[in-house]
Amino acid sequence: MNATKTKKFAMAYIVDRCVDCKACMVACKAEWQIPDNDFRTHIDTGIAPAATDRLSMHFLPHQCNHCDDAPCVTVCPTKASHKREDGVVDIDNRKCVGCRYCIPSCPYNARFFNNELGVADKCTFCLPRIYDGLMPACVTTCPGKARVFGDINDPESEISKALKDAADNRYRVWTLRKDLGTEPNIYYIQK
Amino acid sequence: MTKCRISRRRFIQGTASVGAALASMSSFRLLTGGSSAVAEPQQGVTFAQNWCEMCFWKCGLTAKVVNGKVRKLEGQPDCPSNYGKLCAKGNAGVFQLYDPDRLKTPLIRDGERGSGKFRKATWEEAAAYVAQKVNELKEKYGPETFSIFAHGSGEHSFVELVEIIGSPNYCIPSYAQCTGSRDIGWALSYGKPVGGKEPVDSQNSKCMMLLGRNIVEALHVGEMQDFVEGVAKGAHVIYVDPRFTKTAAKANQYMMIKPGTDSALLLGMINYIIEKEIYNKEFVENYTYGFDQFKEHVAGYTVEWASKETEIPQEEIIKAAEKLCEAAPHCYIHPGRRLTRYGNDTQFTRIVACLNMLMGNWEVRGGIYRTIGFKYDAPHMVHFDKPYADRADGAGSEEFPLGPKNLGFANKLMEHIANQDVYPLKGMFVYGCNPLHHHGSTEMVKKALENTELLVTCEIYMTDTAWLSDVIFPESTYLERYDPVISTGRRKGYIQFREPAVSPVFDTKGGWEIAKILSGAMGHENEFLDVQEYNRQAFETLGITEEYMKKHGVWVANENTPYPVEDEGEEPSFRTPSGKAEFYSNICEHFSYPPMPSYEENPVPPEGEFRLLFGRLSFHTHARTQNNAWLLALHKSEVPLWIHTEKAKALGIKDGMSVRLVKEGFKSNPCTARVVDYIHPQAVFLPYGFGHETKGLTRITGKGARTSDFTSNLTDPISGAAGFHNGFVKVEIA
Repeated sequence: MNATKTKKFAMAYIVDRCVDCKACMVACKAEWQIPDNDFRTHIDTGIAPAATDRLSMHFLPHQCNHCDDAPCVTVCPTKASHKREDGVVDIDNRKCVGCRYCIPSCPYNARFFNNELGVADKCTFCLPRIYDGLMPACVTTCPGKARVFGDINDPESEISKALKDAADNRYRVWTLRKDLGTEPNIYYIQK
Repeated sequence: MTKCRISRRRFIQGTASVGAALASMSSFRLLTGGSSAVAEPQQGVTFAQNWCEMCFWKCGLTAKVVNGKVRKLEGQPDCPSNYGKLCAKGNAGVFQLYDPDRLKTPLIRDGERGSGKFRKATWEEAAAYVAQKVNELKEKYGPETFSIFAHGSGEHSFVELVEIIGSPNYCIPSYAQCTGSRDIGWALSYGKPVGGKEPVDSQNSKCMMLLGRNIVEALHVGEMQDFVEGVAKGAHVIYVDPRFTKTAAKANQYMMIKPGTDSALLLGMINYIIEKEIYNKEFVENYTYGFDQFKEHVAGYTVEWASKETEIPQEEIIKAAEKLCEAAPHCYIHPGRRLTRYGNDTQFTRIVACLNMLMGNWEVRGGIYRTIGFKYDAPHMVHFDKPYADRADGAGSEEFPLGPKNLGFANKLMEHIANQDVYPLKGMFVYGCNPLHHHGSTEMVKKALENTELLVTCEIYMTDTAWLSDVIFPESTYLERYDPVISTGRRKGYIQFREPAVSPVFDTKGGWEIAKILSGAMGHENEFLDVQEYNRQAFETLGITEEYMKKHGVWVANENTPYPVEDEGEEPSFRTPSGKAEFYSNICEHFSYPPMPSYEENPVPPEGEFRLLFGRLSFHTHARTQNNAWLLALHKSEVPLWIHTEKAKALGIKDGMSVRLVKEGFKSNPCTARVVDYIHPQAVFLPYGFGHETKGLTRITGKGARTSDFTSNLTDPISGAAGFHNGFVKVEIA
């Protein structure tokens, strides 16, 4: 895939725009016919602190972080889980033997076992949808426009612009569990 | 959960459990490529246009059909209702379409009411049965003995059927059970109702104040998008609620108010704003009526008093007032959506309207925008003579002169059916709604249903009301039917188109087709248009083509500015008796209602009881979607009951415990205690739409409490609409 060689896909959540409506979770489920009780993306809701007059509540979406050094790829005995050149961590279902090593190896709890297919399952950044000129299903549906996706190597992409804007305005930008060295590709942006 | 599905997928699951190698034999995804991302061969892909019917905001959507099955729904990018977006409910429309719990064929009751015994019938048989019963009852009691409760895009099919039969007793419950008081209160102030698409210009607003308008959970995509834009641009958001909701999470200023005291808060703010002379003087002087009397009227409502009533610190009240005035006119105080709280909601809306008047935010950016509608000479689906009898519910009568006859009082009509105290009301039709959930008293509704000699329901699911019906007609979902095109108004006026994405999955028909069959079976000669013919005539009048609508699904017809006062210097004008926005309502004076709103104290729950508050979760609509497995999975089928930490402790209730609501000995099904600090101790909160009795909603029967078993059933003296929030309950461990 020459055309994909220089691409590096990533996603950012503009946290201020997320309202925990869960549209992304259901759009993803519909797009990928995920079993009724499983989801490839979630939204965590938290209250902090619990009891005070200055309550705050946060909504943090999450999904596969498409790590550059992905533990799930490392532990996979059949190389079913693999890192593509365009940055997507994908699963080759033909090679997956359902051993489930990858599921606890993921520090982001992004994987689950798909009982209908007998394989590990997770977000693929909506391959091949994103090569059909569409955004991932979760991005397309997000009413708050909290999700931004694109090629981080292309300065004109939505995500590059969002990250630049965040840097210029000194918004808070972070990734999850930086300490683990997984080099995740999901960014959180908060004003 | 969802053990009922015996489908191809279940079969695959069984196979998969044998082992991955075997599983690979039965799965598309495994056979078709090296990536889990290759879903299935994209053969025979077609697209169909529609508007969503998972709630009533009517988001434009395009259905993707692969090999004859609807696979995905996505928002129409150009539809001003939702600009390309869908919520969780909208996305779950695919599950609903193929849900094995759907009604699949006409049914005739074949046992005691409530036994759930029905026999399958053909359409001819069911229609003939209903026709014969209708004609008998009409002979015996007169045509006005029939009533219809209807909600949804096809509501007028059955409304017009009942009018053809000759009864004026049709009700659209979204008036009496939802927005009625709000719309009347607003109209008394501004000369027109708020309308179904609230014209609050959140995206440009510098300050927004919402009182229990939980905009991100009682979610309509377009309104929520605007709100998030406003938040992202840095608007100051003031959110008032006894409960810290997800909207509160987006607020700069959250005020936990003592339930039932919202009027006191607003009157205190009004008093402060007038005293400090920080209101929009130009607007008040030129475009309002009765300010001097109003100023005198509110003189006693000091911030100190308001603080005592509401339990909100004085400085918070002052801050909210000042923030609004700093932002004025680019600010608003939200008029609310479902405003059926305490039975005095019309006057509460009057207070909201008066505070907005002080901001002078009329038809300017960030305030109240002008809804840009689109009117055209629409065809008629069917012609008929208007019924002559008086309505039984009193809408538009001497007692309720402001009650709109074209919407009716669903609450009062149901009471008269229960009591049979106006004239015999023996035949009832229900289309797309569920009175056992949306009325204030299930006991009263049950009595009414028992009093009917014929109860006919048109639905897609076996609801609690369908369960008690004599005849059930299964309707096609929005993805399987045509409907007459609709004209919608927001910042633009537009036309929306619905066509079937697939043929009916089961033996179902659209509402208009069913009404036509019934009308014919009853012997009426009124000709119903075919829906497609209606649309052809409409397109001709509109000067657009069907091809255009098939491609886009929406046609923007009117792009006049929604901010005429700001953009075109237009003088604000109002269709009130004075031609101005009225602090002092001339219409109220005329009908001997208080012309200016005052504080009315609401009762507080006695010791040991709680005020039951209820509302929406962002992923369910009314009592319609709770059985949808995709949505149910979002909350793991749990029905939370919010209760304050201290109160829970006293009752021995811990977070996650199974608890029940209790009222006068009646106990609900179990709910899951959600013990939190961020609800007012006087209140408990329950999401609406659970506690179904019907056995036909297999995933949720018996789960959680039904709010209508515990709410109050008050009547607003001006609008005639309901008041639900004076229901007091006890909570016990289940």
